Amino acid sequence: MPNKKLSIRIDGALVDAYEGQTILQAARAGGKYIPTLCDLEGITPVGGCRICMVEVEGIDRVMAACTSPVQEGMSVKTTTPRLTQHRRLTVELLLVERNHTCAVCVSNGHCELQTMATNLGVSTVRLAYNFPKLETDLSHPKYVLDHNRCILCTRCVRVCSELEGAHVWNLTSRGINTRLVADLNGKWGDSKGCTSCGKCVQACPTGALADKGRAVEEMVKQNDRISALAMRRGAEA
Amino acid sequence: MARIQDIAAFNAARETGLEKLMPTVPRITVGMGTCGRGNGAEGLYQAFAASIDRSGADVVLAGVGCFGSCYCEPIVSVRLPNHPLVMLKKVGANDAGRILQDLAGGNITPEFVYCRIEEWDHITGHLRYGSGYPEVPLWNEVPFFKGQRKLVLRNCGFINPDDIEEYFGVGGYQALYKVLIDGRPETVIEQVKASKLRGRGGAGYLTGNKWEFMAKAKADQKYVICNADEGDPGAYMNRNEIESDPHSLLEGMIIGGYVTGATAGIVYIRAEYPLAVRRLQRAIEQAREYGMLGENIFGRGFSFNIDIVEGAGAFVCGEETALIASLEGHAGRPRPRPPFPAQKGLRGMPTNINNVETWYNVAPIVTRGAAWFTEIGSAKSSGTKVISLVGKVQNTGLVEMPLGTPLKTYIYDVGGGGVDGLQVKSVQTGGPSGGCIPQEMFDTPVDYESLAQLGSIMGSGGMVVMDEDNCMVDVARYFIEFTHSESCGKCVPCRVGLNKSLRILNRMTEGAATPHHIELLDDLSRYIRECSLCGLGQSAPNPVLTTLRHFRNEFEDHILARRCEAGVCEELALSPCENSCPLHMDIPRYLQLYKEGRHDDAFMAVIMDNPLPSTTGRVCQHPCESRCRRKTLDEPVNMREVHRFIGDTMLLSERFEEVAARVAARKLDPTGRKIAVVGAGPAGLSAAFYLSILGHEVSVYDDKPEAGGMLAFALPEYRLPKAVLRREIELIERTGVKFTLDTRVGKDISLNELDDRYDAVFLSFGTWKEAAPLREPGAELKGVYPALHFLESVARGENVQLGRRVVVIGGGNAAIDSARTAIRTGADATVIYRRERKDMPAIGAETHAAKEEGAKFVFLAAPHRIVGDDQGRVKAIEVVKTRLGEFDSSGRRKPIPTGEIQRFDCDSVIFAIGESVDIELAQSAGLKLSHGGTIEVNRYSLASSRPKFFAGGDVVTGASNVSGAMSYGKLAARSIDRQLMEADRWKSAMPDYQFDMTPPDTPSESRRHRGRELDATVRAQSEDEVVAMLSHDETLDECHRCLRCDLSVANAT
Repeated sequence: MPNKKLSIRIDGALVDAYEGQTILQAARAGGKYIPTLCDLEGITPVGGCRICMVEVEGIDRVMAACTSPVQEGMSVKTTTPRLTQHRRLTVELLLVERNHTCAVCVSNGHCELQTMATNLGVSTVRLAYNFPKLETDLSHPKYVLDHNRCILCTRCVRVCSELEGAHVWNLTSRGINTRLVADLNGKWGDSKGCTSCGKCVQACPTGALADKGRAVEEMVKQNDRISALAMRRGAEA
Repeated sequence: MARIQDIAAFNAARETGLEKLMPTVPRITVGMGTCGRGNGAEGLYQAFAASIDRSGADVVLAGVGCFGSCYCEPIVSVRLPNHPLVMLKKVGANDAGRILQDLAGGNITPEFVYCRIEEWDHITGHLRYGSGYPEVPLWNEVPFFKGQRKLVLRNCGFINPDDIEEYFGVGGYQALYKVLIDGRPETVIEQVKASKLRGRGGAGYLTGNKWEFMAKAKADQKYVICNADEGDPGAYMNRNEIESDPHSLLEGMIIGGYVTGATAGIVYIRAEYPLAVRRLQRAIEQAREYGMLGENIFGRGFSFNIDIVEGAGAFVCGEETALIASLEGHAGRPRPRPPFPAQKGLRGMPTNINNVETWYNVAPIVTRGAAWFTEIGSAKSSGTKVISLVGKVQNTGLVEMPLGTPLKTYIYDVGGGGVDGLQVKSVQTGGPSGGCIPQEMFDTPVDYESLAQLGSIMGSGGMVVMDEDNCMVDVARYFIEFTHSESCGKCVPCRVGLNKSLRILNRMTEGAATPHHIELLDDLSRYIRECSLCGLGQSAPNPVLTTLRHFRNEFEDHILARRCEAGVCEELALSPCENSCPLHMDIPRYLQLYKEGRHDDAFMAVIMDNPLPSTTGRVCQHPCESRCRRKTLDEPVNMREVHRFIGDTMLLSERFEEVAARVAARKLDPTGRKIAVVGAGPAGLSAAFYLSILGHEVSVYDDKPEAGGMLAFALPEYRLPKAVLRREIELIERTGVKFTLDTRVGKDISLNELDDRYDAVFLSFGTWKEAAPLREPGAELKGVYPALHFLESVARGENVQLGRRVVVIGGGNAAIDSARTAIRTGADATVIYRRERKDMPAIGAETHAAKEEGAKFVFLAAPHRIVGDDQGRVKAIEVVKTRLGEFDSSGRRKPIPTGEIQRFDCDSVIFAIGESVDIELAQSAGLKLSHGGTIEVNRYSLASSRPKFFAGGDVVTGASNVSGAMSYGKLAARSIDRQLMEADRWKSAMPDYQFDMTPPDTPSESRRHRGRELDATVRAQSEDEVVAMLSHDETLDECHRCLRCDLSVANAT
């Protein structure tokens, strides 16, 4: 039985919505854009990144569009100076939290965080960089986990458990020390549960999870492999 | 024991309990909460048990919970049949035998007596112990308990928490019985709604509404949960409640479970509370055994069980959705609401979560009714709240008061005010989610709305009192460090935002922040509050936002002046004494230099830090001593007398010329800049000295015939011999300062002329005007003097006809100086002050000396009218007795006239009730004034509203003291120089010495040397200086007593 139809306004325009939908779902169905980072359509929303905060008329607080249910007659604003300020600060915080060095990142040009920063006009940060020393897990034969780029959106955790059913990924520790871990904090490559399906890599919005062999560091030129060159060099020697 | 199924069995259990509580033989109880145990209650209990065994006396001994007064643990109660219950405090294990012996003779050992209780309202029952012992104060006559209303804590400290029968004895489980027999859950919910009981965990949501929500939800399984994950630093009421009275919690939960249709109850409690867990476990077992839990309770077909789940101590698990996640075996991370737990909670089932204390209110509401409950407390917040009062107050402990009681009642009446005479500065309520409330706002009622208006919250009820020794920036940093490490990491604002806030606050406490960090911190905090996912993040910035709002000065001090006045932030201070000295004298340096025998260096170090070392060595209020760490060992180092000695031995000796030449030689090259200083008091003299040293041409103007200001004309000779002051001024003159005396700025020379002739002007003309014209009837009579005029006349050598009997009105230094000066003219002096002795602003030692010299003191009296004779001369003064009312914003009780008049015959009256700035001069100069009628300046540059004009000393602060005024002169010199020369040249003019940086050996106790005083009878007759200089050996001893707080691990050699 389809849910009850509701009528809400988004940025002044009337939009059809259904009971049980979130504001974000209704907005997308109605062709309205609300920026998101941790959300991935098709898996459970968590409300972690706080990029999708919107204003609802009559409510002082800002609300996360991805987890707030629609209500009959609500009027939502998706872009206001206050929201833009909040979003920019969120992006700033993500940029300074870990080491996001776009120039040498595998996802340069295809990164949702980078795009978000560009769209919001975040070209500098006011806060000091944390520059944490983080590891890179190269143990998996096909993929790489680079903690330097991880924004802890948990999309990988959710696709792995909700879609693949493998439950390889989870978070360990808390606060600023929160880390993505494979199994019980083991090496990804040692995980018996990982099916190497690659869903997590495709779900990752940044360069934290990537296919092996794409990193700048891996682009080493080996001209000694050119046999003709080797022959000529041999002849000269 | 068979399960209780009927009223007969129920009553029988109650009778058994009553017999245990009020036996026909003496009963002794020992408070055995965690706090009592921490203070030796277990050993005490064993000692009582052993003594009773040995003597074979027929005495009942029981361990009970805690009565709330943490400051006098361990607490023991003793009771003889038909006599009041007497609480004893601070009882040691060695005292057990004696207390028993006395009790056998029908006596209470007097030195431990705390209070007596004749009857006690347990709300669910009422016990009458008996009357007697009129010499022992009743419990609510003890300041700590005055005004307390023990509703939640009704049984704490009376019953044995491990014995369900004692709980029956005080009417326990009757409310449950009533509810089950009535069988109408909806009436109970209505009752709870009508009571307006609000959640005691902090958010203050109406409990009745929450219950109704849950009762309406349809499901096979429903849960009630008690949130006992108490994690706020400084809050421990929940622990104490469970440890002292676990059955009240169970009863509340069973009733709540019944009326909301729950099938099971869970207590989620921190594993760090082992004693509470154990007692609760035992209580649940007993409740099952007696049929209060389990199948078919009271035969009414209702079955209910309660389980305990121990939490691992994550702060965020106090958030209800995180708590549920933790109960389900997941990591304690919150999830967004809706859905609310009442719809979809534990395992997806409707769940109602209430705080421990909320549950404790259930049985009283059921027993006494909603109307009774709403009569307690304020309109919107009914009932009581248990507060844990901790920190810098004399009496700490659990305080239960009706909601709406003002903060000052907690802090001053119950808490007894600050410790060690220090002023209370602020109180932090609500733990890490709460905020800091400044002392000026202590009138605020403690209820949900009022605290929220100030940016704080009620929270679980922690109240941490802070005094002058607490740095508010550090307090904010501490709480952010806490929430930062407790953040679950799920959402960005809380995870990263708090981390960045902490880093900024760390920089501030290290003196490495810039002004824009304040704005950044403010932006960040507002963002975290608005955007975080759960209550932890949303409320975590509160400590920062409230301190920024109410204590912005402290943040600015840390950044702009690199100073932490409280002396907490170590990177910002050399040592506690240096930090508390208004002039920031490098005290350890001159002590060490003198100790090394480098007397000339020591003198130079002193004079360049403080151009009036001999004067301040006599009359400074020496705040350094109150911070000296030596006082934790024996007594503070006598730093003031050491710099007096160093000053006197050089300035008053034949070496003066040589010394003066050496000081003058330190002058930087002439800059060609000309600066005028208006007022030759301590502020003006200091400014002139330093400006001259910095190479400027300085002219000082003063309307008096001699330089020195108040030092010359208000301080009596016996405290500060004029010869000493003249030498110091002479030294300042030798550096090139020109004095133009007998010249009144504003009259003889205008400020505009100064503006034209000089590159900068420093105004320090002090507070020579009486604060308020004397309005008392009779003020026009002959023989009425304002204190300053009187002191000045004496200083000028004029013959003031005081007569034989003098009355001085006031309690400050001017009042004491007037009285002592009057005594030296041969008069009898009586000082009348409207508050109590401890409230007097005068230096304690001076008051003491005045008393020794024969001054009489009358406290709690204010002038009413002055009576004259037919020649228009003073004949008598009538004063009105005062009593102390409420606390005012100075943290002292306000004197209120009682109407009772007392008459003192006298020949003259001296009013010493404060002085103010000559406003006309300031106004005519076009200077902006503050609300208090002083000149407004930038706190860090001392620049006034008019370009080129700077101001400092009393004209800025209002009447203050010597070293305070001098600090303004010093700061002004540095600031004026920086502005004129566009560079900070200060350090280049100051001496730099290398000296021994080896830490001293482990110190042993030693005596502090004091200057010898003239005998009181001798000195009262003479103008001779009262306090003599230390000897060389004594001075050296004092130098050796310094613990060298200026050394740190980093610079120790």
